[in-house]
Amino acid sequence: MAKKQVPIIEGLFTWPSDKPQLIASRCKKCGTVMFPKTAFCANPDCEKSRENVEVVNLSNKGKLWTWTIQNYAPPAPFRKEPFEPYGIGMIDTEEGLRVLGILTTYDNLKLGMTMEMTTGKLYEDDENEYITWMWKPVA
Amino acid sequence: MKKFREVAVVGVGLHPWGVFPDRSMREMAVEAITEALADAKMEWREIESMVSGGYLWVSQREGMFGILSGTAISSAMGGIGIPITSCANACATGGAIFREAYLAVASGLHDTAIAVAADKSAGGFFRPQSEDKEFDLDYIRYVMTGETNPAYWAMECVRRMNDIGTTEDDLAMVKVITSKVAPANPKTRYKKAFSKEQVLESPMVCTPLHLLEICATSDGAGAVILCDAEKARKYTDKPVLVDAAAIGSPTFGDHTIPLTYLSAYPRPGVGILTESRNAIAAVYKMSGRKPEDIDIIELPDNSSWHYFAYLDCMLQAQDGEAEKLLRSGKVDPVDGDLPVCPSGGLGACGEAVVAQGLFQIYELVKQLRGEAGERQVKNNPKVGLAQTYGYAGNNAACILSKAW
Repeated sequence: MAKKQVPIIEGLFTWPSDKPQLIASRCKKCGTVMFPKTAFCANPDCEKSRENVEVVNLSNKGKLWTWTIQNYAPPAPFRKEPFEPYGIGMIDTEEGLRVLGILTTYDNLKLGMTMEMTTGKLYEDDENEYITWMWKPVA
Repeated sequence: MKKFREVAVVGVGLHPWGVFPDRSMREMAVEAITEALADAKMEWREIESMVSGGYLWVSQREGMFGILSGTAISSAMGGIGIPITSCANACATGGAIFREAYLAVASGLHDTAIAVAADKSAGGFFRPQSEDKEFDLDYIRYVMTGETNPAYWAMECVRRMNDIGTTEDDLAMVKVITSKVAPANPKTRYKKAFSKEQVLESPMVCTPLHLLEICATSDGAGAVILCDAEKARKYTDKPVLVDAAAIGSPTFGDHTIPLTYLSAYPRPGVGILTESRNAIAAVYKMSGRKPEDIDIIELPDNSSWHYFAYLDCMLQAQDGEAEKLLRSGKVDPVDGDLPVCPSGGLGACGEAVVAQGLFQIYELVKQLRGEAGERQVKNNPKVGLAQTYGYAGNNAACILSKAW
């Protein structure tokens, strides 16, 4: 039987889901988008009222702003087992947010290319696979 | 901007940068203070106020909270009952405490003040200090995206290479040029000059940044003594005036995702490194000086990308001017018309996080006085500019000048 896939930290993206999306906040007054969710709008000119901020699921498409390859294993508490070098990128979503994430590949990437959000496993134990959100190039 | 009374630096001291597992942060701070007091020919009891950098590695080292660092250092010196503030502005802490010590004297509240910081940062990639999944953005970012500090710097570097054509040779030449002076600085950790081939053959940490294009983390401590400028001659023949000392913070809509954060909401016309550009704008405004007045620069070369990004920032130049300056030889650390990082920079010393700003100020003071020995710059500098770059949008800058 396949292991259960469990987000390393809950509440950051919709799960379980066939089409996972990042869970963000949007200000109903000025449209500012923030990730992860926040209690207040981050715009300095906007009223600090909890009622102004709503939860939104971000589009799972974006453009690659920049990226790199992490060639060495970061120390704990990050876990990626077994360790293999991985890509990390900044992606511009359709809502105007620039967001970080691990990339499913670092081959054939070009700045500005369309990326789609998915999930991927970083490590596992006897019961579960532990996952985070990742971005993959759209062919 | 309102200026209060004039303030001078009258003493500087550094515990050397390196790895010192058998020394506490407190005792390293005592060595730095002792050297600064000797430099100023001043007694410890003449210090009227103190600002300290809060130890960064509080949970891993010495079991002492950062908030206790100031009084821990003063008790190691012997308590004299003076007001002490501890500050934790990440890697910009040294510059931030210098500004606070400056204000203590400039305001007229005290005639003397000391900024002191010690840190034991040596030990590889930085990592979060809590395991709070709910509210610690640094923890959430780190475990979910695996973003190390060099990964962030590399991403900005890739963007700069794309936008303005910085080359891999340019990145390597930063290390070649700044490391030239490293063997001549007794306070640095890496006393070695590197060739371009050695830099490019060093391991690729985060593409396109090689190991020798990224600064290490180090242990170190620094102390800077400030004094009412009218009383400075009692302590030194060469008082160095503080023309400006400022702290910068980010502007909403900044285009980058600073370390610890997971996202940014870029607004048109805002750009990157707003905290750094805000700090630089503040020191030019406060001092009345312009970029062309600057004779010598200490910048935060945490990576080769930083060298270029910060040289443009500090000179308020168009993006890409820094690469031209490096290629032209104008910013050679000893022979240049505008020497940059005559200390050898962070590349040569590694970063002892909260003390780093004081390392830079030490270098400016030594260079302005003409006391830098073999690494003394050749352009007879009168005005120096230093800036430190910090985690989470922290920044500080200062302009110092000869007062004799």
